Amino acid sequence: MILTRRRILAASATTLAMPYVARAQQASITLAAYSGIFQDNYEPAVVETFRRANPGIKVTYFSMGNSAQALGQLRAQKANPQVDLVMMDVSVAKAASDEGLFEPVTAAQVPAIADLSPRAFTPGVTAPAVTFDNLVLLYSPQRVQPAPTSWKVFWEEKYKDQIAISGVPDIVGLGFLMMANKVFGGDDYRRLDKGFEAVGNMAPNVLSWDPKPDAYTMITQGTASLGVGWNARGQIYSDQSGGRMAAILPSEGALFQINVLGLVKGAKNYDASRAFMNHALGAEAQAAFTEKMFYAPVNTKAKVSDAALARTASSAERQAMMLPVDWLEVAKFREGVTEQWRRRILTRR
Amino acid sequence: MPIASRIALALLLPALLVNMAVFLLPMGNLALLSFRQANEGGALLEGITLATWAKMFGDIFYAELVRDSVVIALAITGLTLLCSYPIALFIHRAPDRWKNMLVVMCISPLLVSAVVRTYGWMVILGDGGIIAAFLRWLGMVKAPRMVFNTTGVVVGLTEILMPYMILALIAGFGRLNTSLEEAAASLGAKPFTVFRRVVLPLTLPGIMLGCLLAFVLAVSSFITPKLLGGGRVFLLATEIYDQAIVTLNWPVAAALSIVVLVIFGFALTLYGRLARAVA
Repeated sequence: MILTRRRILAASATTLAMPYVARAQQASITLAAYSGIFQDNYEPAVVETFRRANPGIKVTYFSMGNSAQALGQLRAQKANPQVDLVMMDVSVAKAASDEGLFEPVTAAQVPAIADLSPRAFTPGVTAPAVTFDNLVLLYSPQRVQPAPTSWKVFWEEKYKDQIAISGVPDIVGLGFLMMANKVFGGDDYRRLDKGFEAVGNMAPNVLSWDPKPDAYTMITQGTASLGVGWNARGQIYSDQSGGRMAAILPSEGALFQINVLGLVKGAKNYDASRAFMNHALGAEAQAAFTEKMFYAPVNTKAKVSDAALARTASSAERQAMMLPVDWLEVAKFREGVTEQWRRRILTRR
Repeated sequence: MPIASRIALALLLPALLVNMAVFLLPMGNLALLSFRQANEGGALLEGITLATWAKMFGDIFYAELVRDSVVIALAITGLTLLCSYPIALFIHRAPDRWKNMLVVMCISPLLVSAVVRTYGWMVILGDGGIIAAFLRWLGMVKAPRMVFNTTGVVVGLTEILMPYMILALIAGFGRLNTSLEEAAASLGAKPFTVFRRVVLPLTLPGIMLGCLLAFVLAVSSFITPKLLGGGRVFLLATEIYDQAIVTLNWPVAAALSIVVLVIFGFALTLYGRLARAVA
């Protein structure tokens, strides 16, 4: 072949264009989800397996501190979303749904949706659940003896100044108040008088209503001995604490928290995003994440080992122990509860 | 327009533009947000309304919040001044070769982030800390709680603001001259009279500057009250965080931010008036 100027130019033009041709075939999506220990476990269990199965789709994990921050991103980028999929608490997702920030998804587009538990769908929220979690009692096995089995341990005088609970308006505080209401005779979580009275009586014994960095760490370090937290993190941190912190589901039960996975309206790549959603909600990824971090699976077909399942609240009998709280209902009276909390709980010294 | 003014204007322009883009525009946005309304779940509703402001003026909680924030910030400012003034005076009178080292020592805490120092106070003031241990050694059965309440916040913020106060005081001590004190003493003034009639008036500009700085920093402080308040201390900044991040009521958070700005405005105006009166 004779090298002519034209041939050289043509050849170099093709070579230069190659990466762009390849890139055009590769879709790219961004998933916004929680940072820290959640990301450490979600990346290998769910995102990495999706990357291996779909080399043509590039997934970027954009870490967020909390749901409100995620909502802030969606609001700011409404005209030109940079995030395709977002994970957030169901009550925050309600606000996002009301503002039309999510594109609804159907089982026709995302087949895994057909296998989800009925509890995965919340009326008025245009995003399916991706994880179930539940409130747990955290304690120090060294300093709290015998091991607690009831929420009533918080009312024992000997644990004065050893209790750390995130107070209202945080949902841990709301959950604790609703559980106290139930334990002390209230039969409806929408009427919390019994709960307020009970929590008011133990309030002077509370060391902090705003544990920093969190209740798990305060107990592990020995600053506090009793606390309230979420099961998934409680299980992971208790493993990491070397026996200095344990998480249990008390005999009176607890309540569920739901994270949803939403498709952002106006996102660049609906098809690739739906493919990821199908993977994340699918039986395999759900089981893998439960094995790693003990969130209860939302997919009813997820095959989880007995050992992992025992550390979640997904068994039928444990589900029956849960207070059936509708978080959207809670959102309606949360402001009133916050006001009462300040007047009736925080004034108690 | 004379050429000098034009050059001055041209030199000001970049700073002006940057300020417009990163300060005035977002502030305008914030002001606008305070006229929106959120539904009970936190979703922003369409349209402009005075409802958020009406609620804030109608609810005694917000009036108390502003009062408490200002009172606590003033208390912290006063304590910071009391702790910093002797140090600043000592540094001012120190021989020149020591002065620089002493100043560096005073501001060296700024090399460590306020978060880390606040955690330090959590340990010191906590039940297992040295103060509680000392009180127990003295025979006290149960040391009073010194952290996760207002006491903790006041102690922590006072220490954190001291370097700023010391720097401001030293900067304002320019007119203080040892020979004036000696002159007063030679005319028969007792040490306290010298301090009251000579030192204090001459250091007033520094005191005012330091107090302005400490007050503004205290009233807007977030991380220290959040960590040391234990959820029991309500200040403007922590309430803005709760409204924006926890209850998702952005209009209330925006309105409270504007309130903080107004308090800054009052503090600056007061400072301006006092500074002129002193001069």
